[in-house]
Amino acid sequence: MGPLIPNGIIPFEWNNIIAIIIGIAFGFILESSGFSSSRKLAGVFYGYDFAVLKVFFTAALVSSIGLLYMDYLGYVEMGNLYIHPTYLWAAIIGGAIMGVGFVSAGFCPGTSLCAVAIGKIDAIVYVVGIMIGIVIFAELYEVFKPLYEGFAYGALTLDETFGISPYMFVFIFTIIAIVAFVIGDIVRKRTKKVFY
Amino acid sequence: MINRKLAKILSFQYVFLALIIIILAGVLLLLPKFEKHEGINPQAFLSNVISPERYMTTDELAEIYINQDPSYIVVDVRTENDFKSYNLPNSINIPLNTLLNEDAEGYLNQDQYDIVLVSNDNFSANKAWILCNRLGYKNLHVLKGGMNEWFSTIINPQKPTETMSAKEYELYNFRKASSMFFGVMYPEDIKVFKKPVVVKPAPKKVIPKKKKKKMPTEGGC
Repeated sequence: MGPLIPNGIIPFEWNNIIAIIIGIAFGFILESSGFSSSRKLAGVFYGYDFAVLKVFFTAALVSSIGLLYMDYLGYVEMGNLYIHPTYLWAAIIGGAIMGVGFVSAGFCPGTSLCAVAIGKIDAIVYVVGIMIGIVIFAELYEVFKPLYEGFAYGALTLDETFGISPYMFVFIFTIIAIVAFVIGDIVRKRTKKVFY
Repeated sequence: MINRKLAKILSFQYVFLALIIIILAGVLLLLPKFEKHEGINPQAFLSNVISPERYMTTDELAEIYINQDPSYIVVDVRTENDFKSYNLPNSINIPLNTLLNEDAEGYLNQDQYDIVLVSNDNFSANKAWILCNRLGYKNLHVLKGGMNEWFSTIINPQKPTETMSAKEYELYNFRKASSMFFGVMYPEDIKVFKKPVVVKPAPKKVIPKKKKKKMPTEGGC
């Protein structure tokens, strides 16, 4: 049956409308769970709050387990899903830059827009910074092009790379996540409490 | 009292949630695995099997040839030797055992052309038809009766007897015409072109009249 849009069950034109609705819901939940606070987001690096780690790890787990069940029952064809191709060094360097931005400003791009919506000045400055970064990247695209398009490995998935079944991989991933949550809680109890 | 009990239960909520996720992932691991079928699903395959478009008669194929319809590809699934000894004009030879090769895929896996699969009989062409259908290829047809039927209907059509209907005669005429299109000769139809005898008018004979020679005047008298 699914994925709904590639299989023509929902017309292609609905793509953007559905994206807007999901985006509004995502922003609402980010804001209501306090993710528009840069202190909460930065807490994962200083060890006083692991909400970010827990939320995103849990989201990945729920969606991967859910997708595997849906695939098993025939509601979704996993082969039709889009897998973003791997550009190794672009991902490593881009990830490092993103991490530095994350820890120094206390926002990831999504939550920064959330914080702009509630009128935080640091978030506005952060978004302006993102725009400047985009302009620099676009203007110097020819310089970055070998890095941006090079080292392509195609659509790699972890289960295929390690040669194990996706079910086994998700199970191991779940155990790792739960262990990470427990360690996070232990670390949080040992560090000094920060009020924010 | 109630609040304390509730608080006691709620203090375990994260443990509980973690257990649910682990159990869900574990069940996924223990589910009986089954082979997933790639390509077409059984219902669509069955509807293709009983579809009237599956078979193409030799007459239809001949008409396509005569009209020079560019939207058809004729794929011959016989062996290379058979193909060399006789083949349909402009047909492509993809022997059945090389059907799944990569270079054959370009011809078979597309939806711009109609593909007509041809073999000596239905049998090999049907095998190819089933394989291609299971892979989800589109617009596939099988030449009904294959090459044998092609010979007995188009190349060498049976003359209808006098008691047969006008329709049979019409069909025969069509088949005969198409066989002539493919280069079959019918000796009884060949009209020998006789040169009309041109009677040449007899050349005029010139009979010279002899003029009496005037006698030279003789002197005298």
